[in-house]
Amino acid sequence: MKNRTRTNWLAMVLIALGTVFILFPLYMAVTIALKNQNDMLNSIFGLPTNLRFENFARAIEMTNFFQALRNSAIVTVSTVVLTILTNSLVAYAIARNMNKHKFFKGLYFYFISAMFIPFPIIMLPIVKLTASLGMTNLLGLIILHTVYGLAFNVFIYVGYIRSIPIDLEEAATVDGTGTFGTFVRIIFPLMAPINATVGILICLSTYNDFLLPLVIISKQSQYTLPLVQYVFQGQFNTEFNLAFASYLLAMLPMIIVYLFAQKWIINGVTQGAVK
Amino acid sequence: MAKWSRLLGAACLLGVLLTLTACGSGQSADGKVHIEFFQNKPEAKASFDRLVAKFNEENPNIVVTQTNPPDAETVLMTRVVKEDVPDVIGMGATDTYSVLGKSGIFADLTGEPVLDGINPRYMQMLTDLTGQEAINGIPYAANADGIMYNRDIFDKLNLEVPKTWDELMDTAKKIQDAGITPFYLTYKDDWTSNLLFNALAPNIAGIDFLLQRRDDQVSFQDDVMREVAEKTLAVLPYGTNDNFGRTYADGNRAFANGEAAMYIQGTWAIPEIRKANADINLGFFATPTGDDAESNNLVSGVDTLLAVSESTPHREEALKFIGFLLEEENISQYIEEQTAFSAVEGIDQDDPALTELQPYFESGRLVDFADHYIPAAVQLNSLVQEFLQRGDVDAFLKRLDSEWDKVANRRS
Amino acid sequence: MAKRKAAFYWMTVPALLLFFVFHTFPALQGVFYSFTNWNGFAKTYDLVGFKNYYYLFQDDNVGNAYWFTFKFAIVVTIVINVLSLLIAMGLNASIKARNFFRGVYFLPNILSVLIVGYIFNYLFSNVFTVWGQNLGIESLSTNLLGSQGLAWLGVAFVAIWQGIALNTILYLSGLQTIPTQLYEASGLDGANKWQEFWKITFPLIAPFFTINMVLAMKNALMVFDLIVALTNGGPGRATQSISHLIYTGGFEGGEFAYQSANSVIYFIVIAVISIVQIRYLQRRETDM
Repeated sequence: MKNRTRTNWLAMVLIALGTVFILFPLYMAVTIALKNQNDMLNSIFGLPTNLRFENFARAIEMTNFFQALRNSAIVTVSTVVLTILTNSLVAYAIARNMNKHKFFKGLYFYFISAMFIPFPIIMLPIVKLTASLGMTNLLGLIILHTVYGLAFNVFIYVGYIRSIPIDLEEAATVDGTGTFGTFVRIIFPLMAPINATVGILICLSTYNDFLLPLVIISKQSQYTLPLVQYVFQGQFNTEFNLAFASYLLAMLPMIIVYLFAQKWIINGVTQGAVK
Repeated sequence: MAKWSRLLGAACLLGVLLTLTACGSGQSADGKVHIEFFQNKPEAKASFDRLVAKFNEENPNIVVTQTNPPDAETVLMTRVVKEDVPDVIGMGATDTYSVLGKSGIFADLTGEPVLDGINPRYMQMLTDLTGQEAINGIPYAANADGIMYNRDIFDKLNLEVPKTWDELMDTAKKIQDAGITPFYLTYKDDWTSNLLFNALAPNIAGIDFLLQRRDDQVSFQDDVMREVAEKTLAVLPYGTNDNFGRTYADGNRAFANGEAAMYIQGTWAIPEIRKANADINLGFFATPTGDDAESNNLVSGVDTLLAVSESTPHREEALKFIGFLLEEENISQYIEEQTAFSAVEGIDQDDPALTELQPYFESGRLVDFADHYIPAAVQLNSLVQEFLQRGDVDAFLKRLDSEWDKVANRRS
Repeated sequence: MAKRKAAFYWMTVPALLLFFVFHTFPALQGVFYSFTNWNGFAKTYDLVGFKNYYYLFQDDNVGNAYWFTFKFAIVVTIVINVLSLLIAMGLNASIKARNFFRGVYFLPNILSVLIVGYIFNYLFSNVFTVWGQNLGIESLSTNLLGSQGLAWLGVAFVAIWQGIALNTILYLSGLQTIPTQLYEASGLDGANKWQEFWKITFPLIAPFFTINMVLAMKNALMVFDLIVALTNGGPGRATQSISHLIYTGGFEGGEFAYQSANSVIYFIVIAVISIVQIRYLQRRETDM
C-alpha cells in the first residue's frame, strides 16, 4: 500500500527528461525568433542578447498576419458552429431510426465507410468541381470541412445519442412537440459533452489543415495561416529569424487557447478517439 | 410551438450560411478593375511590389495584386485546372509555359503595340519553345546560369577566371589546397542540383540534341550525354562536407559571408546574396564546359515572360499593366534590382558583378537552358539530384531515357 | 407519426445530397478520369481503357512512393505506439505535477504539422549537424534530410515527435481505467513488473492499442504536409509519399488522368489494409 502512494522518482525523472525532448524544438523556435543575425552567428543555442521584437513586427507586416488570422478564424469558427449544428442533427435522425429503417442504417454505413477514403483520391476531381461551382474561397472551404466531417462525426454522435434514454423524447412527442423541437429543446442540450468533443477536434483539424486550403483557395488574400507560412518560405530566404517569428505567430492563437483550456481539450480529444 | 422551433432552426442555419456567403464573396464591389498578377520568382516579389504600387497609384481605376506562391508552376497548373487562370502571368520560359501555350491558355498577343522594341532573339526563343506562330508571351527579363565567384578570394590566391573545363577543375583544386571551400553546393534543393547540368548539356550536347530526342533520333545514353553526366559529378569533391544537406537559402548566406570561393548559381541569386552581405565583391563567369573557350556559350534563358490569360475579361487593363512594366524607367529599375538582363532593346545591365558576361551578350553567344526542352513530368531536377547522390552514370542516363519515354507514352 | 418520419428525412436528406455531391461524386469522377487521357485542362480528351493502369504498374516512381509510404508508416506506427505506451505508464505512475507533464506531452498535437516540419527542417540542417560535429558522430554531422538513404528516417523522426502526443493521452486514459486493486492482488502472487504488464495491463488496454494502431497508421499513410515542409519528396524521390506524388504529378505536366488511376489503386490498398487491420486487432482483443 505504501508503495503506491509514494512518489515514483525514477518515473518522474524519466518523464521530466522526456519533456525536454518535446519542448526543445519550441525553445529553439522562440529563441531564434527573438535573436538578430549576429546572435545567430555567435551561438545558435544561447539566449538572445537583447530581445528583438522587431522580428515579430516585420513578420506581421510582411505576411499580412492579421488578414490570415482573420481567414483562419472565420473558417475555424464557422466550421465548428456549422458542424455542431448540422452533423448532430443528422446523427440524431440516424441514431433514432437505424434499427427500424433500412434507409437510416444504410446512411450510417455510407457515412462511416467514407472514413476509409483518403483525401488524395478525391483531391483532383474536387478541385474541378469546387471551381465550377465558384467555391474556391473561404465559404467553399467551410462547406467542404463541414461535409467531410460527417463521416467521423456521425460515428461518434450516434454512439452518444443512443446512450440517451428515448423516454424523454416520447414524453415530449406526447405533449405535441415536433421532431425538430424535440431535438432543439431536449436532445441538443443533453449533447453538450459530445458537442464539446466534436468542436475541439474540428477546431484543431480545421485550424491546422494545409492540403485542402492549398488546392481549394485561389486568392492570396484568403489564405489561411498554415498556407501563408508555406507561401512565405521563399521570401524569408536567408532571414531565419523572421521565418521563426512568423511560425510562432501562426501557432500562438492555438497555444493560448490550449494554455487556458488544456484539461478540457485533452478530455475532449480522448473521448472523441475512444468513442 | 413545433413550428416555431423548426422555423427558428431553419433561420439559424440560413443566417449562418448568409454571413458566410457575405464574407466569402464580398470585395470587388468598389467599381474598380481587379487584375491578378501571378509571378513565380520569390526573389522578385519586392521589386514587383514596388512597381505594382506605382502602377496602382497612376491608375486609380485598376487594382493590380501580386500572387507569388512557392512551387509556383504546380500552383499555376492547379489554377489552370480550376479554369481560374490569373489575368497576367509572369513565369520562366519553361516546358510548363510551352504546354500551357499549346493548350490555348494564353492570349495571342500578335500585333499588340507592347511588343515594339522587344529583342527579337528572345521572341524567337519563345516561339521555338512552343513551336507555334501565336505570340503567347512577351519576354521581359533574361538571366544567366553560370558560376559566381568571390573576387577577393580569387585575388588573394592570384587566380584567373577559368576559360576551359580543365582550368575550372584546376582552379578548384588550388582553392581547396589553400584551405578554402571551392564550391558551396546546395543540393538539398532539387532545382539547384540541376544548374550545372543545365549549363553543360546545351554546350556539350546542344539544344538540337534535345529536339532530336523528341523525335527519338538520339538517346541519352549517347557519348555526349555521358560527358555531361560525368562533368556534373566532377565538382562534388570540391564542395563542402554536406553538399546534400544545404539549401539555396543556406548557400546564399554562406557565399555572401565568404565561406566559399565559387557558387554554381544564376544571376537571379545576386540580390539575395547582397541582402545578406551588401559589401561582397562578387563576379560571375559563364560555366567553361569544354576545351575551346571561343566556342563556349553562356546559358541564358527568358527568366520572366509576361503572358495574358485567354479567358480574362480585362485584356485591355492587363496589357496596360504589361505596357507599364515594359516602360524604360520601370524595366530599368527591375533589371537593376534583380541583376537581370532586359528583353527590351537598348537597356543595358551595367552591374559590376556581370562585366565578364557582357561579351557573350554583345556577340550573341547565348544558349537556352536544357530543361526548357525536357518535359516537366520527367522531373529532371529530381533525377539529377538522385544521380548526384548515387553517382551511377549509366543508371542515370538510362533513367533519363526511360522517364522520357514514359511521359511520351502517357501523352500520346 | 408520418409527420415525425418526414422530419427525420428532412434532417438527413440534405446532408446526404451534399455528401454525395462533394465526396462520393468526385470519387466516382476520379475513377472515370482514370480511364481517360485528360490532362485536367484541355478542352477534349479520349477514353483510353486501362492504359493508365498498365503504365502505372510499370512506373518505378509509383512503386517507389508506395515503398517509401509503407516503410515510413510501419516504422512510425510501431515506434509511436511503443514510446507513447511507455510515456503513458510513466505519467500513470505516482509522480508529482502529473497534469503539467500531461499537458506538455500533448502540446505537439495542437500544432500545425507544416509549421512543425519547418522548425525541424531548420534544426536538421543547423542544429543537429552542429551536435554531430561536436560529438564526432559522422552520420549526424551532415544534414540527415539530404541523404538519399537516410532522409526517410528524418521525416519519421518528426512524425514520431508529433504523433506521440495523441497516442500517449489515449493510452493514459486507458491505463486510468485499470483499478489499482488488480495490481495489488498480483503483487501478492509474486508477479514481477514484466509479467504484470503482459498479464494485467496490456489485456485491459487492448482496445486502446487497437485505436492507436489504426490512428497512427492512418495518419502515416496519408503523410503530405511533413513531406512538403521537410524534403519536398527528395533527395531525388527518396521521400516522396503517395499523396505527394498524386499532388505534384496530378497537376504538373498533364498527368491528371494518370494520377487519378494511381488514386484508385491507393484507395483499394487503403481499404484492404483498414479492414484487415481492424479485423485482426479486434480478434486479438477478444482472444485475450
